[in-house]
Amino acid sequence: MTNAVLTEERMAVVKKKEKVYVTTLRRLLKNKLAVAGLIIILLQIGMAIFAPLIATQDPIKQNLAASELPMFSDGHWLGTDNYGRDVWTRIVYGARISLLVGITAVSLGLIGGVTLGLLGGYYKKLDGVIMRVVDLLFSFPGILLAMLIIAILGTNLVNVAIAISIWSIPTCARIVRGSVLSIKQKEYIMAMKSLGASDFRIMMRHILPNAFAPIIVFATMRMATAILSTASLSYLGLGAQPPTPEWGAMISQGQDYMWTSPHLTIVPGIAIMLTVFAFNVVGDGLRDALDPNMNI
Amino acid sequence: MKKTIWYSIVLIAMLVLAACSGESASAPKGSNESNGGGESNETFTYASTSDAVGLSPILMNDAVSANITEHVYEQLFTRNSETQEFDPLLAESYENPDEKTWVIKLKEGIKFHDGSPFNAEAVKYTFDKLRDPATAAPRASLLEPVDTITVVDEHTVEIKTKYPYGPFLAALSHTNAAIVSPTADKKQDLMKDPVGTGPYKFVSWTPGDKVELEANEDYWDGAPALKKIAFKVVPEISTAISMLQTGEVQFIDNLPTEQVKRLESMKNINIEKKDGTSVYYLAFNHSRERNQDADFRKAVSLAVDRDAFVSKLNGLGVRSDSVIGPQVFGFDEGADKAGTAYDVEAAKALVEKNGYGDEPIKLLTANRDNFILMAEIVQAQLTEAGFKVEIESLEWATFLDTARAGEYDMTFLSWSNVTADGSELLYPNFHSDNVGSSNRSQYSNPKFDELVVQSRTTIDQDKRLQILDQANHLMIEENVVLPMYHGIVTTAMDKNYTGLEVDPTGKWSLKNVTKK
Amino acid sequence: MIALIVRRGIQLVFLLLGISFLVFSSMYIAPGDPATMVGGPTATETDLEAIRDNLGLNDPFLVQYGRYLKHAAQGDFGYSYQTKQSVSEAIAIRFPNTLKLAIASMIVAVVIGIFAGLISALKHNSWLDVTSTTFALAGISIPNFWLGALLILVFAVNLQWLPVGGLSAPFYTVDGIKQLVLPAITLGTGSAAMIARMARSSMLEVIKADYVRTARAKGVKERNVIWIHTLKNGMIPVITVIGLNFGFLLGGTIITEKVFAINGVGRLMIDSIAMRDFPMVQGSVLLVATLFVVVNLIVDIVYTFIDPRISYD
Repeated sequence: MTNAVLTEERMAVVKKKEKVYVTTLRRLLKNKLAVAGLIIILLQIGMAIFAPLIATQDPIKQNLAASELPMFSDGHWLGTDNYGRDVWTRIVYGARISLLVGITAVSLGLIGGVTLGLLGGYYKKLDGVIMRVVDLLFSFPGILLAMLIIAILGTNLVNVAIAISIWSIPTCARIVRGSVLSIKQKEYIMAMKSLGASDFRIMMRHILPNAFAPIIVFATMRMATAILSTASLSYLGLGAQPPTPEWGAMISQGQDYMWTSPHLTIVPGIAIMLTVFAFNVVGDGLRDALDPNMNI
Repeated sequence: MKKTIWYSIVLIAMLVLAACSGESASAPKGSNESNGGGESNETFTYASTSDAVGLSPILMNDAVSANITEHVYEQLFTRNSETQEFDPLLAESYENPDEKTWVIKLKEGIKFHDGSPFNAEAVKYTFDKLRDPATAAPRASLLEPVDTITVVDEHTVEIKTKYPYGPFLAALSHTNAAIVSPTADKKQDLMKDPVGTGPYKFVSWTPGDKVELEANEDYWDGAPALKKIAFKVVPEISTAISMLQTGEVQFIDNLPTEQVKRLESMKNINIEKKDGTSVYYLAFNHSRERNQDADFRKAVSLAVDRDAFVSKLNGLGVRSDSVIGPQVFGFDEGADKAGTAYDVEAAKALVEKNGYGDEPIKLLTANRDNFILMAEIVQAQLTEAGFKVEIESLEWATFLDTARAGEYDMTFLSWSNVTADGSELLYPNFHSDNVGSSNRSQYSNPKFDELVVQSRTTIDQDKRLQILDQANHLMIEENVVLPMYHGIVTTAMDKNYTGLEVDPTGKWSLKNVTKK
Repeated sequence: MIALIVRRGIQLVFLLLGISFLVFSSMYIAPGDPATMVGGPTATETDLEAIRDNLGLNDPFLVQYGRYLKHAAQGDFGYSYQTKQSVSEAIAIRFPNTLKLAIASMIVAVVIGIFAGLISALKHNSWLDVTSTTFALAGISIPNFWLGALLILVFAVNLQWLPVGGLSAPFYTVDGIKQLVLPAITLGTGSAAMIARMARSSMLEVIKADYVRTARAKGVKERNVIWIHTLKNGMIPVITVIGLNFGFLLGGTIITEKVFAINGVGRLMIDSIAMRDFPMVQGSVLLVATLFVVVNLIVDIVYTFIDPRISYD
């Protein structure tokens, strides 16, 4: 009997959720900026997937005789860099790298943050320790933390992703913990518990889905930060290994030529700006659409 | 509610006050001029990308500190940048009664900045301290061949070496062999408060920001024209160039190849270029089996188009096959084109025949200066010939350790030869004694070792030249390393000033600089 | 409130312990030998061994860490491996510059951020709102170092209105202010955007609140509605964001200081990491962490004043 009630309650929750998604989407699509952002993100994903079709040249193929060509040159509409590599091709392939690093960093950060947040929120005993660790990570300047991690692990994009992911753990953990704390006291969770459902099941099936909205908003905005941070680390010489066409590395390399071939920094700079902007507006839009009072 | 607003204001004010009180504590003594806005005060400012480590020639060992100590201290001898000969500086003259004895007469009437006299005692004190193991001086090796130092009279010292030592004058003219004031050294820390005999006296040092010097009005060779000079830290070279353009600094050196075009387009500066003594080379790790295969090294050498690379340096590099550069003692014209010429087809054939492309090559590089440029271009060229190359770029500290331990297949190394003597290049970098420290290519060849030792223990300079040439040819023929280019010393100075002296080793002096 | 300060103080001590351990161990594991950086490229293995002995780097990890803690507890944060200068002294020289930069950037961020946020909220959904939101978001989307370089190119080199770099003049002089303008804009835009965002959403919420409606209905002048009723309450979340951003700014100084040749703690940190100058790294990280905690404490205190409902006891 009780089981049937619970299932019904669950069904209602599911239905309500479906409705929530539809209304969220509808609200999001009303937001002009967010739509613009979505289009940019979709374009970028397209660029990343179909890179070899969009840019027909080799992103690391050098041609020293045709280096530093200006924009709108023959066969290189965005010019070439100091090694004579086609800037457009490198931008297109760079979209792949930005997305990959961003997604990896954010996923790792989410895994870490969600785990800590769930455990901290659910088990009172663990809460103190976990929150102290979170505070510790929090009071560390992010870029410094990343530098230390890269100093230990070595300079490459995987380690950059790890370094950046650690930096999103504390915020994510706090968000999830907050949601857990508010949901934990709800009656149906209490009921599940008294029925002997395992903690793991309760956390995964009932608590986590309720924290979904803030997590998705957080993740979207973190994508923006992650892409920006990768670029900053590349600027400090701690990013992609050459000749990888990473946007941040392209800017910092291009900066040496800023006075003679400004397009070498401006083009990748705009690429980063647009992408980060897109993730930010979509994140903003999602928050407004899901729950304007969300505290992110 | 008003109260709370006031409270916030007070808090902010407190923070600001904290900032400003900290500031006055940190301001260098007696300097209230500003560098902002480009208004002219008479301080002549040089910008470097990092800060000095310390200002005692005995204890420091870095180029930035050397730029400063060169103006505060002087050596017994100095290498004449025109004739390449060693001229006496604080010394008056010298003679060799036998191969192992150097009797040096000193100039008279010279005083240190603290008023104490410069004499034979000061020379003995400095050199003894430099070579004393207890001092742990980083360049103690300069005086390693020295056996005894004796004060003959007030202005004469006699130095006996353990064996005949060819490059001794070069060693005595080295930045780290400058003479310090013994009285000052006993009283204070020369690393922070230097006292020498040079044209400039120390005024202040704000760590991380700048070192200020003032003219030594009692300088024995006539007081310098620039009364105040500053060595300022500007970590970003682009920023330094912008500051040069706006007049916030007057002088920079080590111009980056990427920005030559920009600098050349600036109207308010003079750029000076001079062939230098530094060498940049592709090194094989000789402790790896694959690199011991002469054909493999040959295939790599055939595949690298060094002309194409040098053309990317915008005129800031000299192309030569020789390991010992054209400005270094030991160079002979015959070595200039003695190396393996670029022939990508021949390289492809070798790679294919011996399967060199099967196993990837780890190309290690430091992530600074021209090293990345070399790595990217060489990687592309080697790939063209069929090799598989992965770049591993590391920050400097990790790079140095990795290279020293020999954990790489190939890498790029450089040597800025401060004494401009071939022995000083070949011994530290390629003699088997130094595997595990400065011999990062782990090269070990008894025949070569013997030549290097000979070049160090021979006094007759003509003979030394021959020996060094022989050693040089041996390296070139066996493709022990692949010299990518030889450095060019570059400076850019405000057009209103003239009289800069630049040496092929990269040293420069502001002693005779005057304002137009 | 005193209880709050005491509790935070105790927490801070433990936090600093944790951070020092984290930094100490990561520098210990990181490749790159401090002795090599001291000894220079020509040092032999014997030289390096002597240097390591001298710096105490041959001792076991816990011995080294224990020694550091013992000295630190007595207020001695060690000496630079490179220059032998005392860490406290080195930081004391650089800290005022970093603080100046952080405060100036904060001013830029707060002024721009609150202004943009207010406009967006008051003219909700108008073109003004969209423009200022777009600008705010563009602000967080620009890579710091890129913006800095562009600003130098335009305002210092081409127009020559402002100096390129340095921060040597006292901040209350015209030169000092001029030197701060470009770095503060470079560093401040990111935070300005975050503040604007928060100001906008919290103002929007407050405007809809009952008491504002009541005030309006009562015929209170529109200006007073905005300034007294709305702003005050709308600012509470904004202050948290400002507090959090102060930490963000301190981290951001690393890059800004490099671009603008400012002799600050951020640059000291990266330089010291690059040179494996452990005591310097420790000292500067601990300082930044302490500041971060203290600023957040101040924020919490300010909070209790603005909103008496909040209590931390």
